[in-house]
Amino acid sequence: MIVMRMIRTILFAVALAFVAAPAGAADANPAAAVFMQSLGSRAIAEMTDPTLPQPERQARFRTLLDEHFDVPTIAKFTLGRYWRTATDEQRTEFRKLFEDFIVQSYSTRFAEYHGEAFQVTGSAADESGITVVHSKIDMPSSEDIRVDWHLRAADSGFVIVDIVVEGVSMAVTQRSEFASVIQSRGGVAGLLEALRAKNAQSADSSTAE
Amino acid sequence: MLGLAMLAGCATPPSNDPEALEAYKEANDPLEPMNRYFFELNFAADELLFKPLAGWYYVALPNFAQDGVRNALRNVRSPVVLANDLFQGETDRAGVTVERFLVNSTMGLGGLFDIASRIGLDYHEEDFGQTLAVAGVGEGPYLMLPLLGPSNPRDATGMVVDMLFDPLTYIGMFAVSNIGLGADVVDGLDTRARNLKTLDEIRKGSLDYYATIRSLYRQHRDDEINNGRAPADGVGAGDQQSFKGVTSPQVSAAPLVPRREPLAKALPFFIIKEPAGPIPTTLEP
Repeated sequence: MIVMRMIRTILFAVALAFVAAPAGAADANPAAAVFMQSLGSRAIAEMTDPTLPQPERQARFRTLLDEHFDVPTIAKFTLGRYWRTATDEQRTEFRKLFEDFIVQSYSTRFAEYHGEAFQVTGSAADESGITVVHSKIDMPSSEDIRVDWHLRAADSGFVIVDIVVEGVSMAVTQRSEFASVIQSRGGVAGLLEALRAKNAQSADSSTAE
Repeated sequence: MLGLAMLAGCATPPSNDPEALEAYKEANDPLEPMNRYFFELNFAADELLFKPLAGWYYVALPNFAQDGVRNALRNVRSPVVLANDLFQGETDRAGVTVERFLVNSTMGLGGLFDIASRIGLDYHEEDFGQTLAVAGVGEGPYLMLPLLGPSNPRDATGMVVDMLFDPLTYIGMFAVSNIGLGADVVDGLDTRARNLKTLDEIRKGSLDYYATIRSLYRQHRDDEINNGRAPADGVGAGDQQSFKGVTSPQVSAAPLVPRREPLAKALPFFIIKEPAGPIPTTLEP
C-alpha cells in the first residue's frame, strides 16, 4: 500500500515536474532556482497540451532532455559498476538506448497533467558541487509532493543530473533495475538486448495510438 | 505448492565473480526466487480481483466520498501514528497528531473531513518499522509478502506491533467482528483505486518490474524513516566515479518538512477565512 501511494506520487511528480512558480526563501543558489523556474514554464507550455500528438510530444521531450539534462552522466551512473567492464561499443549503444528508453517511458506521463501548481521552495549546495533545488507540487486532493532537482553547473548554466521525488531518486531506481536485468540476463549485452526490445515495443504502441 | 516455493526460495550467492557478488549484496534479496514467486502471485491476484474491485470503487464513489473514507480511516488510526511519534522522541510531530485528531474528530465531523491539513497540520505517517529503524535496527533482507506486498523483517514486525495501537483491532475483538479486516480491505481498495493508472504506467515503463518496485520501496522507506530530511543517494551524491552505495553528504538546507503554524495561531485564521479547497463543493448534492 505504501508502495502504491508512493508510485503515484512519483509518476505525478515526474510528469508535472517542470511547472515553475515564484522562487521561495532559503536560496543558497538563486540562479539555480531561477533556472528551474524558467525551465518549468517552458516545459509546461510545450508539453501539456492535451491535443498534442504523441510523436510530437516525444520530440519536444527529447529536446528538453538533450538541452537540460546531463544524459551522458546519468547513463553512466545508471549502468553502475558495469560501466567499467562495458566495451566502448556497448557504452555508445547504451547511451543511445537509454535516452530512447527515457523519452518513451516519461513523455507520455505529461498527458496526466491537470494544472497542479509547482513551486520552487529553495535551494541548497553540497560539497560535491551539486546544487539541490527543492520544489513542491500542490495536489488538490492529497498531500503536497516534494521534488528535489539535482543540478550541476555547466557552460550553458545548469544541467539536471537527478530528480528525487519524495526521497526516491530516479537515477538510483533505474540503476538497480538495470543491475537486476544485467544479473538475470548474463551481462551488459543482455541489458542492451532488453532495452532494444523494450524501445521497439514502445515505439510500436505509440504509433498505433 | 507453497512448500516448494519456500524450498526453491534461497538463491545462492555467486562465489567466483566479484562484480556479481557485489550486485548480490546490494540487492540484499537472498530470497529473490521466492519473493518473485509471491510477486507474480500478488500480481495475478491484483489483475483478477483487486484491480477490478478498485475500478468499481473508483467509478461508484465520487472523489469526495473516497477522500472521506481515507480521512476517517486515518483519523481512527491516529493512536498508531502518535505512539510511534512518541517512541521516536518526535514530540512536535506527536503534537501535530494530537491536534489533527482533535480538529478532525470535531470540526471534521468524526474524521470525514481533513480540516486540520488546511490549517497547516499536515498528515504524516509513522509506524513501528520506522521506530525500529530509528532505534538502529537494520531492515534485513527484502521480503515480498503474499497479498501485503513489499516488506522486510523489520517492517513486517512493525506491522504486527502497530496492530496493538490500532483501535480497530480492539473493536474487532470485542464488538464488531472483522471490522479491522474490513477496514484493511477498504483501505487497500481505496489506495489501489488511487493508483489504477500509475501502477500500470510503472509496469509498462519497466524492464524489470520486480526490481523497480524493490528499489522504490527501499528508497521510500528510508525517506520516511528520515522524515524527509535527508537527501537521497543520487547521481550528484558523493563519489561519482566509484558508483558504490555512496552516502551523500548532508545537505545544509532549510528543513524540508513544512513548518506549521501553532494551532492557537491558526485557529482564528481558520474561522475567519472562507474554507478553500474541495469542501464547499463536496457539501453540495
